[in-house]
Amino acid sequence: MSHLVLLPVLIPLVGGALLLLTGGLGTRVERTIALAATAALLPVALLLLSRAASGEILIYYLGDWPAPYGITLVVDRLSALMLTLAAVLALASLLYAVAGDDRRGRYFHPLFQMQLLGINGAFITGDLFNLFVFFEILLIASYALQLHGGGAARVRAALHLVVLNLAGSSIFLIGIGAIYAATGTLNMADLAVRVSAAQADQAGLLRAGGLLLLVVFALKAALVPLGFWLPPAYTAASAPVAALFAIMTKVGVYAILRVHGLVFGPEAGPAASLAVPWLVPVGLATIAVATLGVLACRELHRLLAHLVVLSAGTLIVALGLDSEAATSAALYYALNSTLVGGGLFLLADLIARERGEARTFLDRAQGVARPALLGTLFFVGAVGVAGLPPFAGFAAKVYILQSAVAGPAATWVFSVVLVSGLLLIVALSRAGSGIFWRIGDTPPAGERAGLLPTSSAAFLLLGTVVLMAGAGPITAFTQATASQLADRAAYVGGVMANQGVSTPASQRGDP
Amino acid sequence: MLPLIVCVPFIGAVLVPLAASRAGLRPALTAGLTAALALALLIPEMPAVYEGAALIDRHEWIPAIGLTVAFRLDGLSLLFAQLILGIGMLVVLYAHYYLSATEGGPRFYSYLLLFMGAMLGLVLSENLLQMLLFWELTSLSSFLLIGFRRREAEARQGARLALFVTGGGGLALLAAVLLIGGLAGSYELTDVLAAGETIKQDGLYPLILTLFLLGAATKSAQFPFHFWLPHAMAAPTPVSAYLHSATMVKAGIFLLGRFFPVLAGTDLWFYLVGGMGLTTLLLGAYLALFQNDLKGLLAYSTISHLGLITLLFGLGTPLGEIAAVFHIINHAVFKASLFMAAGIIDHECGSRDMRKINGLFKYMPYTAVLAMVAAGAMAGVPLLNGFLSKEMFFGETLHLQWLGDASWHWVLPWAATLAGVFAVAYSLRFIHDVFFNGEPKGLTRTPHEPPRWMKVPVEILVVLCVAVGTFPGFTVRPVLEAAAGAVLQRPLPEFSLAVWHGFNLPFAMSLVALSGGVAVYTVRRRLFAAHERLRHRLRFSGKDVAEGLLALVFELGRRLDRLLDNRSLVRYTFALLVSALAIGAAGYWGEPIGGSGPRESLDLGVLLGGLLLGAGAVATAIKHRNRFVAVLMLGLVGLMTSLFFARFSAPDLALTQLLVEIVTVILVLLAMYFLPEATPAVFSATRRARDTLLALLTGTGVAALTYAMLTRSADSISAFHLAESKPGGGGTNVVNVILVDFRSFDTLGEITVLGIAAVGILAMLTGLVLHGPRMDWLGRPWAPDRHPMVLAVVSKPLLPIALLVSAFLFLRGHNEPGGGFIAALVTGVALILQYIAQGSNTAQARFHGDALTLIGAGILLAVLTGLGSWLFGYPFLTTTFTYATLPVVGKFELASAMLFDLGVYLGVAGTVLLILAGLGDLSPRNRTA
Amino acid sequence: MEALVSILVGVMTASAVYLLLRSHTFPIVLGLSLLGYAVNVFLFASGGLTPDNAPLVEHGIARLPDPLPQALVLTAIVIGFGMIAFLIVLALRALRDLGGDGVDGGDAP
Repeated sequence: MSHLVLLPVLIPLVGGALLLLTGGLGTRVERTIALAATAALLPVALLLLSRAASGEILIYYLGDWPAPYGITLVVDRLSALMLTLAAVLALASLLYAVAGDDRRGRYFHPLFQMQLLGINGAFITGDLFNLFVFFEILLIASYALQLHGGGAARVRAALHLVVLNLAGSSIFLIGIGAIYAATGTLNMADLAVRVSAAQADQAGLLRAGGLLLLVVFALKAALVPLGFWLPPAYTAASAPVAALFAIMTKVGVYAILRVHGLVFGPEAGPAASLAVPWLVPVGLATIAVATLGVLACRELHRLLAHLVVLSAGTLIVALGLDSEAATSAALYYALNSTLVGGGLFLLADLIARERGEARTFLDRAQGVARPALLGTLFFVGAVGVAGLPPFAGFAAKVYILQSAVAGPAATWVFSVVLVSGLLLIVALSRAGSGIFWRIGDTPPAGERAGLLPTSSAAFLLLGTVVLMAGAGPITAFTQATASQLADRAAYVGGVMANQGVSTPASQRGDP
Repeated sequence: MLPLIVCVPFIGAVLVPLAASRAGLRPALTAGLTAALALALLIPEMPAVYEGAALIDRHEWIPAIGLTVAFRLDGLSLLFAQLILGIGMLVVLYAHYYLSATEGGPRFYSYLLLFMGAMLGLVLSENLLQMLLFWELTSLSSFLLIGFRRREAEARQGARLALFVTGGGGLALLAAVLLIGGLAGSYELTDVLAAGETIKQDGLYPLILTLFLLGAATKSAQFPFHFWLPHAMAAPTPVSAYLHSATMVKAGIFLLGRFFPVLAGTDLWFYLVGGMGLTTLLLGAYLALFQNDLKGLLAYSTISHLGLITLLFGLGTPLGEIAAVFHIINHAVFKASLFMAAGIIDHECGSRDMRKINGLFKYMPYTAVLAMVAAGAMAGVPLLNGFLSKEMFFGETLHLQWLGDASWHWVLPWAATLAGVFAVAYSLRFIHDVFFNGEPKGLTRTPHEPPRWMKVPVEILVVLCVAVGTFPGFTVRPVLEAAAGAVLQRPLPEFSLAVWHGFNLPFAMSLVALSGGVAVYTVRRRLFAAHERLRHRLRFSGKDVAEGLLALVFELGRRLDRLLDNRSLVRYTFALLVSALAIGAAGYWGEPIGGSGPRESLDLGVLLGGLLLGAGAVATAIKHRNRFVAVLMLGLVGLMTSLFFARFSAPDLALTQLLVEIVTVILVLLAMYFLPEATPAVFSATRRARDTLLALLTGTGVAALTYAMLTRSADSISAFHLAESKPGGGGTNVVNVILVDFRSFDTLGEITVLGIAAVGILAMLTGLVLHGPRMDWLGRPWAPDRHPMVLAVVSKPLLPIALLVSAFLFLRGHNEPGGGFIAALVTGVALILQYIAQGSNTAQARFHGDALTLIGAGILLAVLTGLGSWLFGYPFLTTTFTYATLPVVGKFELASAMLFDLGVYLGVAGTVLLILAGLGDLSPRNRTA
Repeated sequence: MEALVSILVGVMTASAVYLLLRSHTFPIVLGLSLLGYAVNVFLFASGGLTPDNAPLVEHGIARLPDPLPQALVLTAIVIGFGMIAFLIVLALRALRDLGGDGVDGGDAP
């Protein structure tokens, strides 16, 4: 049992605690600790990725208690992939932040670490209630980060965020309660076993509980009709925070994939494939509404926020197609949309700074100081996010559509995805030409960002290029991930392996 | 080799801006050499292709979606590659003289090479997905090129319009390709060509064809999607010459040729493609005549000629395909030269308006001759290339007997001739209006011959026109045969390329067209007038429709977005609650509520407590506008809840609930001191009714779910916890053992949440100064004495006592109700008393600074305790314990878990202190105190 | 007994929902606290009702209650406390920055 599995949560937790202790020691110390902790996550994630790539499911029995009695951490291909994605995004966002944004409010760094703790924890926990705890961690941290920098817009957004998610957490607990009452366990693997063996008497509790969880995850993923909180929040958030938030909706999608894929999968007896019938319609509706939002925008940040919602909707559609190919496509799509989404938020901030007064309003004629550089980056990002060639967005879209061709919903999926794609092209070309072409005669008023922030934005945006170039092996990995997710028996077997094997504490002598 | 050829232009596109200084020859030179290099690399491959071979070069890329890096060089792709690179070189040379130095040379050539590479990749693609990739890339690069003059509004509009139309077509094509690939089981062209029959048989064929044609028609500006092309003329003329006459607009045509064996040969194909081609042919020819803008005329003439080629593909006859390919070549050659001539004229006169630029012959005779020859080719004058392909076209329109019904054979020849008439007329106008027809009117400068080298590209192309027109046999035949063979994918029928076939019907049609054209041109004045009246009659253009559509879409988006999202939390919450209720109910639907489990009998105590609890809850809701009362009611509910826990065997919960209750209420009261005393009534009665209804429904739902749970039982894993608590966890208080041992990871997370909350709160409090009201919530003025004597006296000794109690609770926690969290809250409550008694500033002074450290230390202590087990080779948070005895407390055991619990104590205590100290710090009155 | 408890949870939830749908921060704070109690009792009830005992082993208690939900509820209470405290201070912050205690800023709903 390798301690490696614990590091993705241990590092940010210790880092965050240290940052609280050393609060007084000044900016340099803080930044050093924060950067060290965040940078350390990347090799850890990659190490886990390479371990998981072999198909091995890494398990960590906290407190040495056998599953399902204690809390178990599980890293399979999916978890490793998400951890890596989070690490990359986090590092870029932090590098952007240390250029000065972290000084715009207090306690940015400890909060940032705690945010990572919550995200990573959600990705590796194998316990339903522990998932709740990590959700709460990432939520409370996100509230505080949302407020970072202050100002009315952020306060209003945070207020909405807190109230909605507190209600959401209550629903989460109700769901857990119902499921516990019906199964008497919390470990996801054990749940998978017990749910599939549950007698008809418990069906109502299981289904109601499972679907309530779906509502909570949908709230996080900002799906229709629960996603209206997202655009104002992401629009108001400071650049590095918004960039990091690009993965938050994916946490919700991950939870659906994990919980409803494993516990309420096809073999789940009375609650089999519980979520599936809801996903495609909800996803398509989300795409439609987000597209409307994109068209309605007169400001770049808000447009990007709607794009985040749109990507979540697309992911949900793919999950709703309920096939290994579709899941694999969804994972590949998630990588691209997260990196590009984050990168675009950073880029938008660079643009806003260089345009000074005009900020990122599309209807103001005002040039930027570095049109060639920022223009190219925007072009890459827009093409990547709109699913146009030659970047990963195109491959991802093709992949998802392919997996939909045979299905019953094909017509709907094709129409909605393609029409929304066209409207995206329209909106993005208008935005791009509005910012980079319709330049007035007034020279750029704002200040020019340094090398570090520019390159961290570029780093994320070029992700879409890399993902396309390396699409062969990457899609091979997502395929393997999808088939591993489909093999629930292997997961359960892996987790429950040590039942009774571990030394019961009663037999341990005092060390 | 093929992949390299395609890469060359892209590499060039990157090099140009790097290598080239803004002005000077270098950008153009780099670009020109790039094209030349690609062409040179192509030459060694040519002979084999002329033998009729198809060279294929395939590499794996994304197996998951069937996307390979696969290139195919056969007659058709070779022909297009030659056009793209050859004309590309000429355009680069021309552009060097056309573009003023100020117009950012490098950027232009970079875009141009980008397009060149995309186009090359498109025509050389063997894999359909890869073809699609390059297809969209041509749309994107043409977007950049049309919008090159970024400051001009019409350039931006034209670019966006073109992207909208062609991009939309691209998406349709994507759908078509995915369907085709699905049917053919592969995206490799070779396999797809083989699967032609299967696809035509399939029920999806009509859908596939429609989507496919949407792609082709939008790109090749076929009616009704032709409107974007004239507006793309906002691009610099070299771009028009290259993209919008020779290459990109031919992409759709190329597609028709490429997929001919797969999709053609059905009636549907004939009617859709043929009909589209015919309409475009006539419409374009007609409208071209009435353009006053030189480039406008050429644009519509291009549309018309593209229609002609489409029509030929639509006919589906073998000779028709040959004619189509032939006309592709000819049109590319003469139209490119005409655009360049137009550019020269524009360049020299500063205007393209044919009502102003007249009689240029005497100013630029040489250019005039070149232009006139090219225009002659466009009109289909004998001995020029245009004539030959047009003859073949006329010939093909004559035998459609294979169609079966003979009733309307005559339509096509007549329509073709009519189009010919207009073609001659507008060509004549191009020649006569511009070069003769009096003197120039109101030109800013006097035109003269352009620089020597600017004419060279035109010369070369015009020479080609003549050469092909006079000696077709050995100039184009091999190219033509190879290309046509690649289109048909079967042996070519016999065909002759002679200039003179004797006096036959097609020749007669040519004569009619020529004479008719002259006639039409002579009476043009009246026609113009008529056309003007017509235009006024039906004010309608595709562009307006498209722009209107876009405007509508944007407006619709704005409206619907506002309609759905009113930016109000109340609606968001409502949506969440309704969704949860609906989906939860849907989940439970049809199952019995009551289960078969054992029931507890009701007793009076619980009943009374329950009544109080329920009443309190309802009162809180009803009385919420009177905030003070509401808070008291809430407190009552909390109190009853903790009694409930006590009654049902959860002493730890009861204690925790009680303490949390106290702290929360105090917090709320503190907040109330700053908040308005009452909540204004803002909602209408109907709204309140709606909310009440939702509240009742939700309540019922949750109640039902609770009942369902209580009346069922499942064997829980907690049996293990009960059994292992003492032997494994070393504690008899199972709840506490779960918290600090079995599930200590949750607890670690829980104190982390508290810590983060504290940090966030501290961040929010910084710089927050609020002014409390002079009156309290009951309207009484605040007592001047803020620290009541009694409390002060009482609370002083109370603190140490409380700390002692906390210590006691803490130590026994593992075996009796208690534990770190509860102990911390007791400490907290004691300190709150202090706070109330002596004002926050004391509490503050004591704790404010250290609070954060306390929290951090607490978390770290817990973590380190957990890490301790690593030393002994156990996983994180593994515990161990031993026993010790203290006075007062008695025998108790020292578990490593207690160290963990101490961390919890510190973290929680720190949080409580921090929050209270912070809130106390808010009012300026405390500052002064 | 089961019926009574169910009804109580229902009543608390209903009152909480009504408060949640108000347009000012204060009633919403009340609503969320109330919802918290309701949910805690609900979660607690997922382990069934065992009167007049405590989850203490080796105390000669005949019928031990299910301790796991109790532990979960304890965690939930603590987390809920943190959240509510945060919300309260945020409400004060909003009072200052948005010029009122309406949830959408200002005084109007």
